[in-house]
Amino acid sequence: MRRHLVLAALTLISSASWAQTNSLAQDGAAIEQGRVLYNSNCTGCHGANGAAGEIGPGLAIPGRSYGRNSVAQIFDAIKLGIPATVMPAHQGKLSDEQIWKITAYVKGLRGTAIDAPLPGDVAHGQKVFWGGGGCGSCHMIQGRGSIIGPDLSNLAGTRKTTSIIDALTKTMHRVYGPGGAGPHTLAPLPVYPVVRLTTFSGKTFRGLLRNEDSFSIQMIGLDEQLHLLNRAAIKTIVYEPTSLMPSDYNKRLSPEEYTDLLAFLTRQDTMPASDQASVIMPGKDPD
Amino acid sequence: MGIRQFVMIGALLGCAPVSAQVSDGLLKQDAQNWLTYSGSYNGNRHSGLKQITTANVHQLQAKWVYHMTGLKNLEATPIVANGVMYISQYNRIDAIDARSGNVVWQFQRQPIATGAQRGTGFWNNKLYVTTSDKHLLALDARNGSVLWNVAVADGLQLAGEAPLIVKGKVIVSGNQPHGFIQAYDAETGKYLWSWSPIPAPDDPALASWGGQTPEGMPIWVSGSYDPELNLIYYGTGQPEPQWAGETRKGDDLYSDSIVALDADNGKLKWWFQNTPHDTHDYDSLEMPVLVDGAWKGKQRKLLLQANRNGFYYILDRTNGEFLQATQFVAKVDWTTGIDARGHAAVDPSHDPSVQGTTTCPSTAGATNWPSPSYDSALHLFYFVAQEGCGINLRDSARNYAGTGYLESPAEGQGWQLYTRALDAFTGKKVWDYEQVTSHHYGPGVMSTAGGIVFSAEEFGQFTALDAKTGKALWHFNTGDVITASPISYSVEGKQYVAIISSSNVFSFGLPDHGATL
Repeated sequence: MRRHLVLAALTLISSASWAQTNSLAQDGAAIEQGRVLYNSNCTGCHGANGAAGEIGPGLAIPGRSYGRNSVAQIFDAIKLGIPATVMPAHQGKLSDEQIWKITAYVKGLRGTAIDAPLPGDVAHGQKVFWGGGGCGSCHMIQGRGSIIGPDLSNLAGTRKTTSIIDALTKTMHRVYGPGGAGPHTLAPLPVYPVVRLTTFSGKTFRGLLRNEDSFSIQMIGLDEQLHLLNRAAIKTIVYEPTSLMPSDYNKRLSPEEYTDLLAFLTRQDTMPASDQASVIMPGKDPD
Repeated sequence: MGIRQFVMIGALLGCAPVSAQVSDGLLKQDAQNWLTYSGSYNGNRHSGLKQITTANVHQLQAKWVYHMTGLKNLEATPIVANGVMYISQYNRIDAIDARSGNVVWQFQRQPIATGAQRGTGFWNNKLYVTTSDKHLLALDARNGSVLWNVAVADGLQLAGEAPLIVKGKVIVSGNQPHGFIQAYDAETGKYLWSWSPIPAPDDPALASWGGQTPEGMPIWVSGSYDPELNLIYYGTGQPEPQWAGETRKGDDLYSDSIVALDADNGKLKWWFQNTPHDTHDYDSLEMPVLVDGAWKGKQRKLLLQANRNGFYYILDRTNGEFLQATQFVAKVDWTTGIDARGHAAVDPSHDPSVQGTTTCPSTAGATNWPSPSYDSALHLFYFVAQEGCGINLRDSARNYAGTGYLESPAEGQGWQLYTRALDAFTGKKVWDYEQVTSHHYGPGVMSTAGGIVFSAEEFGQFTALDAKTGKALWHFNTGDVITASPISYSVEGKQYVAIISSSNVFSFGLPDHGATL
């Protein structure tokens, strides 16, 4: 066998080297200046506030896998551009200091709930989740619960705290996918629309749409099973306007329960630092 | 047994068509599935579906294409269970509607990994993910939720082979620091047992290393399983140092061997070494194919393997008894002959040298890991044969010298691939299909009860051959390099044949009449 085991220890920017690399990272005023610079230089392609724009991908989409994660990579992408893409170089147009400020802002945008979990009694919040809150009747965490709604095991690793609060309290809350003008890949729906349908053979299904096209529908039923249906077999289909997710948790729970539930949810993260610290990439297998 | 339970043992017994007893209601239809790497435990990679036949295969048409992001040149065999197809990379599984090609869910554990990965395993509505950071995960097949996540025992990295799930155990293997096979509880992830081809201190096989500490013997392809004998069969890789044998005088057990392990505890039941004292990287990782049939007039439980070293082996799989070895490529010169016990005499004049030594077959082998298949109706064994030699080099005469190999030795002596059919019980060649332009192994084959051998070619042709004659009946240019093996499945009575070409999954079926997916 030709063995090419590549030991690619991924170098993570520790907080120490971050500070060394970008002294503006913790500087609130500089980050605010970075936001202003971002809005006047970047949003034409990338969209405002890190959301996706007309040409470039969103730079702060929760759950997105970024090609450039470290501050050095973000800095280089802005300064030097990205070859073979429409991302231009900004050196000569922006000073290094300005680029560092934008870098600090972009990096800051990407933080998720786990970076600053809310205070509260986490153990009690966990009880609320599985008990009175009824969350586990739709959601799964670490293999426990139901599969009807999204798995929340990595909720705090992919969502911002405000997004979690919105989901618990706002009827119109939506979580959008990466979008932008990057390659549009076929991905499962980032939203969970409710569908109710009956087939010509008289069966009825209600559940959450996972995919559909002009000829077929894929859904998770309230029976917790996948249903793969031929549209030609469907007699009626209703797209229900309202999410199955209640949006009054700040009212239906006591203030303590609500606070503690948020403390629990903002700590649900499946990627402990130790998992990311050093990764052995399996090389091309022997042949 | 609850409604989510999934009975698959019966489906995988013997060489019967894979038809899972689905009791979980995942699909309320008569699905016929592809539940394990080879389609069945016996490694036959033969589909019992026969809607697509030699008479109608010329009408076969692409039904859908699904692009899996991340990696190119996927080597995975998809799993199909209850109308859902599961495609894997390291750290990744995509679930797609097997009729429409629509994605249902994706699971991606960071990072997006490089490296060849050959499939996942399905058991009781769970799928198993090998990760690039030494973990093994079980996912809920309905939505991709992680049900358990364990660190691999002893901090080892799993190789890219598809996990083999038998008797509620996930069997996995790896290469580093030397070959190993491990078992985990499929329901809980609990570590159960481990086996290594490194002989234990009290094992007489240790003497076969000339006093040196055994090294190497990676295990990176799935094996097969006989439920009746309760044995799993795996191949082991080459000894180290790879192309320099002077520090490990002897046969170097259990390198380049077929091993039979007790599925319950991983104990070695028997072994058979194909290539002793290997200096050419002739891994024995080609699929051990389990067949019951008459060998020289006597009914036996056989194990068949077309080995990388150029010989087709027939063993008794109950005890490892050597029955015969037949040379299946034109040139083999690493050995001067195989004795009555199956032991090959190595020709030292073909050891790698500073000036370069031509050896046949080449280090890439007379065949390699891409899957063979077996048709029990025709008694034919199908596989991809690679005709050609190579040059093995070392950079000095010292121990542990740097080594390497060159592919085709000279202009006009390039490699040539064939899809080849052997009489399974005699090893005699029955037919050849020349894969024009294919010169390096890559895709495997699959036979079907419709009398067809589906054979993919290196540069993208996906071809249907007449299983009796090797005549091409249909072909489709997938437009990219193929390094995977085909499968077949059925949903609502309609047969599909699927192949991965680079990072695109193609699924083919006969023309529809009326509105369908």
